[in-house]
Amino acid sequence: MRGVGAVGGFLAGRVDRGGFLAQRAGVAGAAVLAVAALIALLAPLLIPADALDVTRVTDGAWQPPGPGHWLGTDHTGRSVALLMAQGTGTSLFVGLTAAVLAVGIGTLVGILSGHFGGLLAGALLRVTDFFLVLPALVLAIALSTVLPRGLGTIILAIGLTSWPSTARMVRAQTLTIEARPFVERARALGGGHTHVIGRHVLPSVVPLVLVNATLAVASAIVAESTLAFLGLGDPTRISWGAMLHQAQLHGAVPQRAWWFLLPPGLAIVVVVLAFTLVGRALEAVVTPKR
Amino acid sequence: MILKVAIVQQIDSMNPFLAVFQSSTEIGRLMYDYLTAYTAADQTVTEGLANKWEPSPDKLTWTFTVPEGKKWSDGEPITARDVAFTYNLMLSDSVARTANGSFVTNFQDVTAPDDRTVVIRTKTPQVTMLALDVPIVPKHVWEKVSGIKDYANDQMPVVGSGPFVLTEHVAGQFIKLKANKNYWRGAAKFDELHFVYFQNSDAAVQALGKGEVDLVNRMAPAQFDSLDGKAGVTRNKAQGRRFTELMINPGAQTRTGEPIGDGNPALKDVRVRRAIAQAVDLDALVQRVNLGYAEKGSGLVPPVFGKWHWQPTEQEQRRFDPAAANAALDAAGFPRKADGTRFPLRLIGRAGRAYDEQASEYLKRSMGEIGIPLDVRLVSDNQLNEATTAATYDLAFSGWATNIDPDFILSLHTCAQRPGADGKGGTTDAYFCDETYDKLYAQQLSEFDEGKRVEIVKQMQARFYDQVPAVILSYENALEGYRSDHFATFTTQPAQGGVIMAQNGMWGYYGAEPAGRAVQAQGSRWVGLALGGAVIAVLVAVVVVMARRRNATAGERE
Repeated sequence: MRGVGAVGGFLAGRVDRGGFLAQRAGVAGAAVLAVAALIALLAPLLIPADALDVTRVTDGAWQPPGPGHWLGTDHTGRSVALLMAQGTGTSLFVGLTAAVLAVGIGTLVGILSGHFGGLLAGALLRVTDFFLVLPALVLAIALSTVLPRGLGTIILAIGLTSWPSTARMVRAQTLTIEARPFVERARALGGGHTHVIGRHVLPSVVPLVLVNATLAVASAIVAESTLAFLGLGDPTRISWGAMLHQAQLHGAVPQRAWWFLLPPGLAIVVVVLAFTLVGRALEAVVTPKR
Repeated sequence: MILKVAIVQQIDSMNPFLAVFQSSTEIGRLMYDYLTAYTAADQTVTEGLANKWEPSPDKLTWTFTVPEGKKWSDGEPITARDVAFTYNLMLSDSVARTANGSFVTNFQDVTAPDDRTVVIRTKTPQVTMLALDVPIVPKHVWEKVSGIKDYANDQMPVVGSGPFVLTEHVAGQFIKLKANKNYWRGAAKFDELHFVYFQNSDAAVQALGKGEVDLVNRMAPAQFDSLDGKAGVTRNKAQGRRFTELMINPGAQTRTGEPIGDGNPALKDVRVRRAIAQAVDLDALVQRVNLGYAEKGSGLVPPVFGKWHWQPTEQEQRRFDPAAANAALDAAGFPRKADGTRFPLRLIGRAGRAYDEQASEYLKRSMGEIGIPLDVRLVSDNQLNEATTAATYDLAFSGWATNIDPDFILSLHTCAQRPGADGKGGTTDAYFCDETYDKLYAQQLSEFDEGKRVEIVKQMQARFYDQVPAVILSYENALEGYRSDHFATFTTQPAQGGVIMAQNGMWGYYGAEPAGRAVQAQGSRWVGLALGGAVIAVLVAVVVVMARRRNATAGERE
């Protein structure tokens, strides 16, 4: 039951050496994320539909930052600031969903291989190794080329390529937990697989998984941006990576339109940094030893 | 001296009988001469491999003379037998007709009574006999080829008759050609011609700005604008001979009438196709996507070929009118459902092509207006090609370069050009098959009175416009740029407002003149002096510093 206590104790600070709130960098990251989430939620409500409709915009293309569009306009005359706000949602959504998918697969594979061992573990681990040695980006590109273009494909591509490290970590943790006397006692008392996994192993790996998920979001956002930048994303959906893609496709660099290149790039850096900070802070809180 | 040309489009085949992509046929033109050619100045017919031609009075027999003295790049003489061999190969092997079949479908037989004379007999009089855009291949190489379908034509150096010889091809990286010293017009004024692949045109434009490549075409308008006033770069805005179209799958069928592909059945209804065409704001696309560097689309022949070009009259004109399009769809039996949509369509285009990416957004909005949710899929060249040949599309972006004689572009829409039962052979553009159109096509093919033929060709375009198997969106200006500090001039076709790349010929590359050597030598001497000076200065500084340090240590030792 220790694991559950740890989860509950993150914020309150009941765990050994201070809670999450004691980690200043982590709190700063969380604040950034809160702002990003707020923008993502409010953007679709506040931005008038016409403002991002290429057929309706009235501003000229490639306008430098100025009144009315304080981050300039893109190649079609849409406001970059509004595009940024609109893109926040996509980038966060893809990042989160892909991370959940990756960590979900990783946890499942990790626990199963750690708990059951034997042939099943062997098979699962070989699959894990297979995905581990494959360059994730290449695999993701291949997947998103074969599957129909779209948000779902991107999420799938990222999710399917970034779970092996989680699986390895969770398996290791599962093995440690199962070696503990209380699991042995539970078994002796007649606890089946479901009981052991559900009541003992899972609660103990949850903090680790949570930390892993937070860090996975960061890399998933980068992966999404990469794929979108390479033109493999959903072409009609605005995301930060897609903005970078359009910027380079439509000649923002030769146009010297820094206002179309820098904001999405910086936004990716900031949000990824925020997730990493939060992840590291959580790690410091939940890591058993240290 | 090497002319480096940026290339973005992939190569489908180096085999001239199979090559359909513009990039491939462009390189084909450099490797192989045709029977006749078009002048650079005004695109009139001129000497190709043949220098004389004579139709019989009934226009059914044409005699071409291949003069003595022309040689293949390996030194073998070019004879009439090579010409006859090429055409006969196409007549006997349906695979060899894949790319240029339309030119020979009307041929009765082709013979070479001697080394200098080619006699072509046609079934009916054919007007395109001086516009046979078929690369002539060397018989002594190709008679050993067993299967055209699998022949990659990559025995380097590839024996050819054109101004350049293919010497190396690494797919997706570069294509290298050397000037053909045996070329009968005389070798080009520079040694090698390299096509360098770029992932996207932006990178190509950047490379042009930095001087890594010498020639870039098909620039996006924004990229073209960005090169304005750049030192060492000259821009060339030309009237293009290409059009961009939006294909609407009209219920694709094979030649034998078997349905193929999975196009939305609603599109079989011409009223639906017309409504879709009516909902597309062509003016807005030209203004906002092409940034004005294009002309609004109408017929199949671009305005650069003035007399063949067709414009709809006031009554024929389909004006942008979403309300009318909505009403038409209602009337056609596709009412809006509860969620406001009628039926979904897929739009497929090429990823990385600025036009497709941007225009697809416009189309998504425009189609949304008339209750058609668009699923936009941007894919690689090959995937797009697969989808369009297998007819697994509803709407698709496409485009064709047209020739001086409109026959080829018109032939793409005849029933006979649809694929055979195995899905292979034939080069239909949009799976159009229309009796009226086919009848007109046959008529124009045997109409030797040019004025009358022009009329028929215009009627065909009007029929095409009315039946909309594709909406001609725009005739893009060809936006090109070149390093005028490396190459002083390029031959454009036509001379006024013409293009350098994607010509009806190879003049652009062949006629490139390296920039004056004297100027360059002087420039490099100054650079050399400056560099030398800098090196000496650094050396002196190093020596001084070393000496001082040595002194210092010596002092410390004492």
